[in-house]
Amino acid sequence: MSVVYRRYIPLVVAFVTGAIMILEYYISENYKVVIDAADVLKTWRIILSTVVFIGVINLFRVHGRHISRRRPGQWYYSAWLLFLIIFYAICGLVMGVQSDTYVRWFVNAVTVPLGATMYASLCFYMAAGAYRVLRARSLETFLLLGAAFLVIMGNTPLFPYLWPGFATIRNWIFDVIVTGGMRAIRIGVGLGATATGLKTVLGLETGYLGRRR
Amino acid sequence: MAVIRSGRMVPFVALILFALIMYVYLELGKRGRVPYVRRLAAFDAIEEAVGRAAEMGTPVVMIPGRAGWTSSYVAQTVAGLAVLNYVARLCARYDVRLWAPMSSALVMPIAVENVRDAYAAEGKLDAFDPVTMIPFVSGSQFAWASGVIGYYAREKPAANIMVGAFWAESMMLAESAARVGALQIGGTARLYQIPFFAAVCDYVLMGEEIFAASAYLTKENILLATLVTQDMFRLAGWILIIIGAILSTAGIKAIYNFLGM
Repeated sequence: MSVVYRRYIPLVVAFVTGAIMILEYYISENYKVVIDAADVLKTWRIILSTVVFIGVINLFRVHGRHISRRRPGQWYYSAWLLFLIIFYAICGLVMGVQSDTYVRWFVNAVTVPLGATMYASLCFYMAAGAYRVLRARSLETFLLLGAAFLVIMGNTPLFPYLWPGFATIRNWIFDVIVTGGMRAIRIGVGLGATATGLKTVLGLETGYLGRRR
Repeated sequence: MAVIRSGRMVPFVALILFALIMYVYLELGKRGRVPYVRRLAAFDAIEEAVGRAAEMGTPVVMIPGRAGWTSSYVAQTVAGLAVLNYVARLCARYDVRLWAPMSSALVMPIAVENVRDAYAAEGKLDAFDPVTMIPFVSGSQFAWASGVIGYYAREKPAANIMVGAFWAESMMLAESAARVGALQIGGTARLYQIPFFAAVCDYVLMGEEIFAASAYLTKENILLATLVTQDMFRLAGWILIIIGAILSTAGIKAIYNFLGM
């Protein structure tokens, strides 16, 4: 039973759902049965999203352990996290999550600015990463440095104003060199994703389930 | 009454052909006719990374991306979980702590079973602790990234392996792990994140290379044989591109019209 439950049922589910979703993309709109079946699966997708509870349970287990063991430097953050989860859940249940409620205001006033701050800090990470990579140690890195220099010049308002050629060079690098390379990678990705998808649907690819033989 | 939607006949036939060719090579693979697969340094380096962690007594971080099961990035999640299984087996074998932070609650139960299988295969099921090994950090992008960056700073992992779909957080993770001296292996099929991994990681898997994970790491003949199908279609793609470019330059749109059927 264990093998059936842990291996064959997931593979059958992967095959049936995968086959329906593939058919739905190709088959004519006249075949309502397939279209409706795909719609049902998409609706299930929303219901399946409620398994976020699994994540919440895990959070309670991890951070509950920190609190119960009074882990130094950690337990009070864990307690604060669990308090906020419960607080937000109660607020959401009582007030709803519409845009005019306090719970939405809390999200907009706390979560959104924090996320924006993290996103803004990305520029420093990128600058540090650029410093790490843009060092002329070989011919390849010298070419990369040169291309990066020209693109930066072309992206600024001042340098294209002084000499429009900077903008032209920048556009040429993007439209010809970058686009060509990215298309090549994109074709490969498409083929790789198709192969992985087919192998998953056909039950050949079982790495994601572990290797149960 | 048309069975196939207008404009999707050629892609449908191509998909059928893809499946048929894959089947042929799969049968050949069963008989031991396995194609040559070039070395992928990033996959080869995984054992070195886990060994480094064993020597240093610090954990290995393995992130199978941030995508779930219900988007077009699912193939990358599948690839990431295949690598997670391999890393978990090595961690179990060498008694190294594994930390695989989850961002998708849909992927998490599968990841837990995946790692449990790896530990069971190595006979180390007693060392498997899903609560601390595979924690759900957050479903929110930057909250999750903050949690992972915090872990890097506190635990100073010896190795950071990231294979799957990543978004803007990729640079944050790679740079933060680089600062604590982690050996980094990064791989994604998301085009805009590849340069970030290329800039910071020690080993990089570009685009489709991550989809070879399962075949390359398990060395199973059947899976290795299926890689040929991709190469055959890539060759067909190149031929179509070259002929199409020549014909289009001459004002003939035969290839263009054919693909739009």
